[in-house]
Amino acid sequence: MTTALLSVRGVSVSFGGVKVLDGIDLDVKPGEIRGLIGPNGAGKTTMLNVISGIHAPHQGDVLLDGVSIVGRKPSNIARLGLGRTFQTSQLFRGMTVLENLMTGLHHRTTAGLIATSLNLRRYREEEEAAEEAARQALEFIGMSAFADRPGSALSFGQQRVIEIARTLIGDPKVVLLDEPAVGLSLNRLTEFDALLRRIRDEKGVTLILIEHVIRLVMDVCDQVTVLSSGRRIAEGTPDTVRNNPEVIEAYLGKELRARHSAP
Amino acid sequence: MILLTYLLLSGLTTGSLYALIALGIVVVNKATGVINFAHGELFMFSGFVAWMLHVQMGVPYLPSLLVAVAFGFVLGALTNLIAFRPLKNANIVSLVLATIGIAFMLRGAARVIWGGKGDYLPFPPITSPEPVMIGEIMVIPQQLAVLAGAIVIMAAFAAFFRLTRAGKMMQATADNAKAATLVGIRIDRIYMLSFGTGAAIAAAAAVLMAPLTLLYPDMGFAFFIKGFAAAVLGGLTSLPGAVLGGISIGIIEALAGGYIHSSFIEVSAFIVIMFVLVVRPTGLLGFNGLRRV
Amino acid sequence: MALFGRRNVLLAMLLVAAAAPSFLNAYYVFVANTILIYVLLAIGLNILVGNTGQLAFANAAMFGIGAYGTGLLQVHFGWPFWLAFPSGAVIATAVGLAISLPALRLSGLYLALSTLAFAQFTQWVFLNWEAVTFGAGGFKTPTISFAPLPISKPMGLYYLSLILVIVLFVLAQNLVRSRIGRAFVAVRDSEIAAQSLGVDLLRYKALAFGISGFYAGIAGGLYSAMLNFVSPEGYDLFQMVIQKAMIVVGGLGSIAGSVLGASALVSILELLRKVKGFQEIVFGAILVGFILFMPGGIIGFLKAKVRGWEEPLHRARPGKRSTSAAATSESSEVRP
Repeated sequence: MTTALLSVRGVSVSFGGVKVLDGIDLDVKPGEIRGLIGPNGAGKTTMLNVISGIHAPHQGDVLLDGVSIVGRKPSNIARLGLGRTFQTSQLFRGMTVLENLMTGLHHRTTAGLIATSLNLRRYREEEEAAEEAARQALEFIGMSAFADRPGSALSFGQQRVIEIARTLIGDPKVVLLDEPAVGLSLNRLTEFDALLRRIRDEKGVTLILIEHVIRLVMDVCDQVTVLSSGRRIAEGTPDTVRNNPEVIEAYLGKELRARHSAP
Repeated sequence: MILLTYLLLSGLTTGSLYALIALGIVVVNKATGVINFAHGELFMFSGFVAWMLHVQMGVPYLPSLLVAVAFGFVLGALTNLIAFRPLKNANIVSLVLATIGIAFMLRGAARVIWGGKGDYLPFPPITSPEPVMIGEIMVIPQQLAVLAGAIVIMAAFAAFFRLTRAGKMMQATADNAKAATLVGIRIDRIYMLSFGTGAAIAAAAAVLMAPLTLLYPDMGFAFFIKGFAAAVLGGLTSLPGAVLGGISIGIIEALAGGYIHSSFIEVSAFIVIMFVLVVRPTGLLGFNGLRRV
Repeated sequence: MALFGRRNVLLAMLLVAAAAPSFLNAYYVFVANTILIYVLLAIGLNILVGNTGQLAFANAAMFGIGAYGTGLLQVHFGWPFWLAFPSGAVIATAVGLAISLPALRLSGLYLALSTLAFAQFTQWVFLNWEAVTFGAGGFKTPTISFAPLPISKPMGLYYLSLILVIVLFVLAQNLVRSRIGRAFVAVRDSEIAAQSLGVDLLRYKALAFGISGFYAGIAGGLYSAMLNFVSPEGYDLFQMVIQKAMIVVGGLGSIAGSVLGASALVSILELLRKVKGFQEIVFGAILVGFILFMPGGIIGFLKAKVRGWEEPLHRARPGKRSTSAAATSESSEVRP
C-alpha cells in the first residue's frame, strides 16, 4: 500500500461554538483524483481551508508528503507543493493573463530586491525563463492568444481555466480545486473532464476536488469522500459511494432513502 | 481630590462634545458601512451657517438652529449623492478619497466665505453664560446643555433604530444590502437618509458647541478625529458605544492633561485610535466591524 | 516607437528638467526642485497604495521624519549633510517597516484610520517634543555646500534631486516590472490567491511600506536641505491629501503616472499659492472629479487614447512574442 501524499488526521474545527469539522480523517495517494462531496454546509471548503493553512484546526494534524503543515502560513504551505483554486474567481485583475501565470511561478523564482531593482543578469535570465514557462503553459491549455489580455477581460469560464493553469505552473504535488466546474455547460464538462485527466497523467499532480456536479465526480474521480455536517460519512469508489444509503439520505433526506432502497 | 473631580467633570463635558460627533459618525456607519471623512467639515460648515444666520443676520436662536440642522441634512444628502452613490461598488480607496475631496472643498469654501486662517468667530450660548456651582466646581451651563444634548440624541436614535420601521430598514441595509433590496427596501433612499441624518446631528452638535469652542474653518478635522476616536473606542456600530467612547476619551484627555502634561491632551485621541484598532478593532461595544473592509 | 509614448514624453520632461536652471530664475528653480521632491513622494506612495493596495495615510509623516531626521542629526550631533541625509532616509524606512507590522492585520478603512492616527501622532511629536524638535517654530539647518564643485547650493541641490529622481525612478520601474512587482499586485488583487502561490503577505506588505518610507525619507532630506529649515507645517494632513491626489490624478499603480501627477499638482498648487481657501477648493474638486470621472488618472486616459503608454508587469520582449503567436495559430484551442 503506497503511503499517502496528503494525510488528514482527526481534524476538528469550530466556529463560534459550532463544530464545522468533527474528527476528519483523509488519506490521498499520489496520482489520485479524489472527489470531496457532500450537501451544502458539510464543511468541504473549510476542509480545504484547513489543508491550505487559512484556518488552523483546533485538533488534528495535516501531513503533506509526511511533513506536518498545521500551523504554517498559507504561503509557506504553498511553497511545500500545495496548490489551490477558489470558489469565486481570484484572478489578478490588474495583470494580463501571461503575468498571472508568471506569478504562479513566484515561489519557484528567487530574485530579490537588489537583483530586480538593479536589473542584474541573474534576474533577467530568471524572468525570461519564467515568461517562457508561462507561454508554454498557455499552449498546454490552448489559450496562447490570450497572453496579453488583461485579467479583467476574460469570461468566467476562461478565468477558471487560467486560474488552474496558474496553480499548476508552479509544479505542485497536490492541487485543491474548489468547485472548478461551476458554470460549465454540459459540452464543456467533457472537455474539463479530459483536462483534469491530462493534468494528472502528464503532470503527475494529485487532485482533490470539491464538486457539486455529480457527473464529473463520478466520471473522473478515483475515490470519493463524502462529508455531511462536518463528518465523513462515506468513502470509496464513485460507484460504492453512489449507492451508499447514508449518502443518499444526506443529500435527499430520509424518505427518499427509504424509497430508493425499497425494491 | 478637588483636582480629580475637576478633571473628571471637565472630561465629562468635553467628552460629550466628542460623543455628539461620534454619534453622527456611527449613524452613517450603522446604515452604510462607511465612514464619511467629510463629517467634520459638515459639522463645521453648518456651524458657520448658524453663525451667519444668528450673529450676522440677527435671526433668532431657535430658527437659526433649525435652519442649520436642515442645511446640514441637505449637505449630508449631497455628500451621499456625489461621493457615495456613484462609488458604492468601487474600491475603498476611491470612496475615502472622494469624501476627503469634499471635505477640502467645504473647508476651502468656509475659509473663502467667512474667514481666513486665523479667524475664530464667537457664538452666543443658548443658556445663560453665567457659570453655575456644582459642589465646589464651576460649570458653564452650556457644557451641561451639550451633555444633555448628547444623551437626548443618543436616546432618540436608539429608539429610532429599534422601534421605527425606517430605523430597522437602515439596520437591515447595513447588514446585507442585497437582501435588503430583495425585500423591497429602497436602499438608495436609506443611504440618503443616513447621510443626511448623520450630517444633521453634526449640525446640531456644532450649534450646541459653538459657544464653547468658537468657530474656525480648520475645526472640522480636529473634531472629526476626536469624534472618530470616540466612535472607534465605543465600537463603530454602537450608539451607546459612541457616547461611552466620547466620554471616555474626554476623561482620558483631561486626566492625561492634568497629571502628565497639558500637551498630552491633543495626542490621547490618536493613541487611543491606534491602540484600539490594532488590539480590539470592534471596540468596547461594537460587534462586526466596517462592512467594506 | 510611439511618438508620444511614455518613453518619449518622460525623456522630453527629463531634458527640460535638466536644462531648467539655465532658463528659470531662482524662484522657479525652487518650484522645479519641489516638483522633483514630490515626484519621489508620489512614486513611493503609489507603490504602496496603487500597486500593493494598502490604503495608508502615513506618507506625509515619513516625509517629515526624513526631514527632521536629516536636520536634527546635523543640528544636534553636528553630522555632515552627506551622512545625515542617508541616515534620515534610513530612519524613515525603519518607521515604514514598523508600521507595516500592525498594518498586516488591518485593511481597507481600518488601515486608513490607524495610519491617519499615526500621522497625527507624529505631527504632535514634531510640535511638542520641543527639546528635540524645536517645536512649532521649527529650526534652521546648516546650508550645505557642494565644494569642491563650483556650483551654488540651489543649483547643486537641484541636480542632486534630479539625479536621485532618475535613479530612483529606474529602480522603481525595474522593481514594478519584476516578480516583486507582480507580487505587490497579487497582494492587492487577491490576498488568498497570492498566498496560495507562495507570496508571503507580511514580507511583501512590509517591503511596500519600507519602500514608500525610503522614498519619503529621501524626499524629506532633500526638502530640509532645500528650505534650510524644518518645521511641522510641511507634513500635515493637507500634505497627505496632496500626495494622495497626485497619485489619483496621475494614475494609481503607475510609476509614470506618479511623475505626471506630481508635476501637474505641484504646478497647480503653485498657481493658487496666493489664496489658501481656493487652493483647498480646487484640490478637493480635482480629487473628487478624477475619482468620479477619470478613476484611471491621466495614465488611464493616455493608455486608452495614445499608443505607447502600456506598463506591463514583466519585461517585454517583442521579438519572441511574434514567434509564439505564429506557432499557436495552428494549434487547436479549447474555448471554455
